[in-house]
Amino acid sequence: MAYTPQYYPGTSSVDINRRKHMSGNVEKLRDIPEADVVLTMGHRLPGADYPSTHPPLKEIGEPACPVRELVAPTPGAAAGDRVRYSQFADSMYFGTSIPYWRSYYGAINCRGCDPGTLSGRQIIEARERDIEDYTKVIMDSEMFDPALAQMKGCTVHGHSLRLQENGMMFDMLARTEMGKDGNVYQVKDQVGIPLDKKLNLGKPMSEAEAKKRTTIFRTDGVSMDGKVGARKMDEALEALIHMWELRTKWGYRPE
Amino acid sequence: MVASSSSDTEPVQVEIFPSRFLTPQTAQRLLNDIYRCGGVRRIMIQGPNLPRKVSYGPGKGLPIEEHQDLVLQIGEEAIELKVQVGRIRLELAGEEYIPKVEAACERALPFSFSIKRGRFFRETSTISDYAKYGRNIEDRRILGLIDPKAKKDKLTVLSEPSCDTNEE
Repeated sequence: MAYTPQYYPGTSSVDINRRKHMSGNVEKLRDIPEADVVLTMGHRLPGADYPSTHPPLKEIGEPACPVRELVAPTPGAAAGDRVRYSQFADSMYFGTSIPYWRSYYGAINCRGCDPGTLSGRQIIEARERDIEDYTKVIMDSEMFDPALAQMKGCTVHGHSLRLQENGMMFDMLARTEMGKDGNVYQVKDQVGIPLDKKLNLGKPMSEAEAKKRTTIFRTDGVSMDGKVGARKMDEALEALIHMWELRTKWGYRPE
Repeated sequence: MVASSSSDTEPVQVEIFPSRFLTPQTAQRLLNDIYRCGGVRRIMIQGPNLPRKVSYGPGKGLPIEEHQDLVLQIGEEAIELKVQVGRIRLELAGEEYIPKVEAACERALPFSFSIKRGRFFRETSTISDYAKYGRNIEDRRILGLIDPKAKKDKLTVLSEPSCDTNEE
């Protein structure tokens, strides 16, 4: 019998979405051209050669090693590409993939990558051609929404802020803009350098759609606890609340 | 912003908290509506910074065109907007002005908002206030309005409005 990994417990829509992100079984919602993804990342121009940090592995002549024989290198590693990154920030207003789930997606599904999780953003580093492939899959899928998730290489402020009037996540560097046709356009790369042309990222999700696809628990969406929440109040949650209370009121002193 | 006004009752302070960040156009419409209601002694607008230049990373120093020349025209004063307006705190001359402010918000804001009463402005001076303004502060309304350590003066003084939107 083939083994089926069990990634995450629960039956609520958030639990199901979290399982989808971890398993990599995500729905493709759009098709952003590969060149646009490369331009948004801003590490190289589309069509340019991949700069390398070492010769291709075949030319190096690797030492005899059972692990190296067992594990095939990724295309980027085999070619000696540089390590580059893509970083996303997701709005807490029903953003599609909150940081830990981007990391789970990367760690489980993307070979040769280094995911990093922070409070309001998530970065994945990998060899250049590998990270371009991974980023395209992410941006084409339900893990991305042009309004509630943005690629932000720096100045990532926005995750925990209210949305703007047009429903877009706040961006201090104004990297994306809402077009008159209802599509979101990328006007700068992920570090705020203006692009020569606007890149169409497609229409943002409606609020109902975002609530359906989000991986975040919220009291006005799928609640984490409470009478209708995804979790029943149990000993662990009570202990957590007790610790929070101790920390908040008196400083955490376990004695 | 400081405006002069008088009332028979005690001043009250309120905070307007919209559910979305305001565009400069909406902020201008709302602030003008509030200003025309009269009774405003102090206004403070707060929100995330809108930098004029990229401050970090490979694009450091590049101008952010979208944030250049953001100006709010309040009454006859032009105010340079440096933040995305997310919260407005007011000191009103009396309770009777609160319904007018609520009506102004309903007119100007196309989404939900909340208004709460409280104390949002400091009344006592801090050491930083003392370092900047000295011991004798002529107009104590400036306390709690701006960061005394700010490099640029962010305070604007408005005159008494000349019309009332209730008659519209």
